[in-house]
Amino acid sequence: MSKDVVEAYDLTKSFDNIRAVDGVSFSVRKGEIYGLLGPNGAGKTTTIRMTIGIITPDKGEAYIMGYNVHEEPIKVRSFIGVVPEISNPYIDFTVWENLMLIGGIYCVPKEIRIRRAESLLKMLKIYEVRNRKAKALSKGMRRRLLLAMALMSDPDILFLDEPTSGLDVMSARMIRSLLLKLKERGKTIILTTHNIDEAGILCDRVAIMNKGKIIAMGTPEELKIKFGEYTRILLCFNRKVDIELIRKYFDSYETVVQGKRLTIICRSKDLREVLDQIICIAKEYNLNIEEFRATGLNFEDVFIRLIRRNRDEI
Amino acid sequence: MKSKEIRLYLYKIWVLCLKDMKLYYFKGPTVVMGVLMPLFIWLTFVVGKGFSFTESLPMLIALASFFTSSSITPIVMPWEARQKTLEMLLSMPITIYIVLLGTALASSLFGVFISSVLVVIGLILNVIPRNLISLALGIAISSSCYSFMGLLFSAIPSDIPANAVMLSSAVRLPLIFISGVFIPLSDLPSYVRPLAFISPLTYFSDLINYSYSYDSLLNPLTDIVVLFFLTIISMVLALVANKRTLMRRL
Repeated sequence: MSKDVVEAYDLTKSFDNIRAVDGVSFSVRKGEIYGLLGPNGAGKTTTIRMTIGIITPDKGEAYIMGYNVHEEPIKVRSFIGVVPEISNPYIDFTVWENLMLIGGIYCVPKEIRIRRAESLLKMLKIYEVRNRKAKALSKGMRRRLLLAMALMSDPDILFLDEPTSGLDVMSARMIRSLLLKLKERGKTIILTTHNIDEAGILCDRVAIMNKGKIIAMGTPEELKIKFGEYTRILLCFNRKVDIELIRKYFDSYETVVQGKRLTIICRSKDLREVLDQIICIAKEYNLNIEEFRATGLNFEDVFIRLIRRNRDEI
Repeated sequence: MKSKEIRLYLYKIWVLCLKDMKLYYFKGPTVVMGVLMPLFIWLTFVVGKGFSFTESLPMLIALASFFTSSSITPIVMPWEARQKTLEMLLSMPITIYIVLLGTALASSLFGVFISSVLVVIGLILNVIPRNLISLALGIAISSSCYSFMGLLFSAIPSDIPANAVMLSSAVRLPLIFISGVFIPLSDLPSYVRPLAFISPLTYFSDLINYSYSYDSLLNPLTDIVVLFFLTIISMVLALVANKRTLMRRL
């Protein structure tokens, strides 16, 4: 059985009497990619900050590699690399100087520091710009530099707060593929994201957070199975669909109309009734169905339903 | 704490000190408040009073050490917060105290360097200190003291370096006038004189006068001991205050 390398118990934190994180507990196994997923303000960043000991929780404890984060912060941080959500390299330093600084802080011997920096820069495809000041780098390159800085100490565990936030498609894809490579090399990765697709692609397990609490936890597949009684129907008509018409017929279902495209989410047991309605509309309004698909819910649907359910419960 | 751990901490302080030296020695506020300000204050006074370089060198060294040593420390923390590098730094195996001590060391060394340059220029122009040991000790201790004073001002939870610079200037400028740099302590009004003895600049100014002319109000050993204690007090206050306001910077 895999060993838990990160454990958080009942982490709770309030700022100005507003509870940002409320009794969050989770554990991460060695070698897995674990995602904290949630909308903005869900408490993901505060949870990460408490887990790595940057802020002290009002209640609860966190352990990394078996060490209490708040009792032995220096020891704990020697095992981890962190890329905070809003952070920068030193913009007046070159790419190389930034890496050397981090190597120095982690007391990495000079020869190893140089070798490791070269290898990281090549792996992240920023070796060519190593003598360029960080302020002259694009956002994607800066993010890659931050990742290289977090890897300079060859940490066992990586904490990444919104690693692809604000990046273009190519840079985001590159970072994702790199994270998968790091996982193959045995690194444990804990990331926060509000990008559902990203969590679905990257994470072995996810915890969905909303309003400071974990509202669901499991593998993306497990969470989808939880909502297995739902079906997503995708239709494409030959012309634009009238929103009012759809509302009239499918009032009790979740629908999305985008031009000629219609998405309906319904309980699987209601599928026949919905299909009858669709055929009826098509006949009555002389619409041709050009495309039809019925699938299970995707991870995004699961996420939205969980957040909504949680909001209704509150 | 084991000696290996202490060595590691000292090494990390040195690494952070080098970072601050490279990043902040040539920043606008450092050059203006640390180099140009003491130079122009000195020029204004010397030209106005018609003093020679020989007569006014101790004053220039006192001003330079005071301004340069306290010029970097107020801006580093707000600057790190503004540039969004602080959280990254704090997630590494270092404490906030190591970060602050690195900054204080960089600032002190800046003060020591500029003061030493002035001493060397004096030597070239045949202004020779009579007691080099008291001069060296005075420069070293007072630079540390001023740098921790500056660090105290950086504790205001702002990410605008100008705010910290303004606050530090509001305290530093009046200190010059009550510390016997321009006006001898004996000529100060009696109600101001007690205030002079809470200013570290008073003791450094007295010590530097002793070093160049053996003419001092207090015993040089007293100056050194008081400066040392003021350094410790400034250091404790600066570390505690910055630790307290740290969360509001993130």
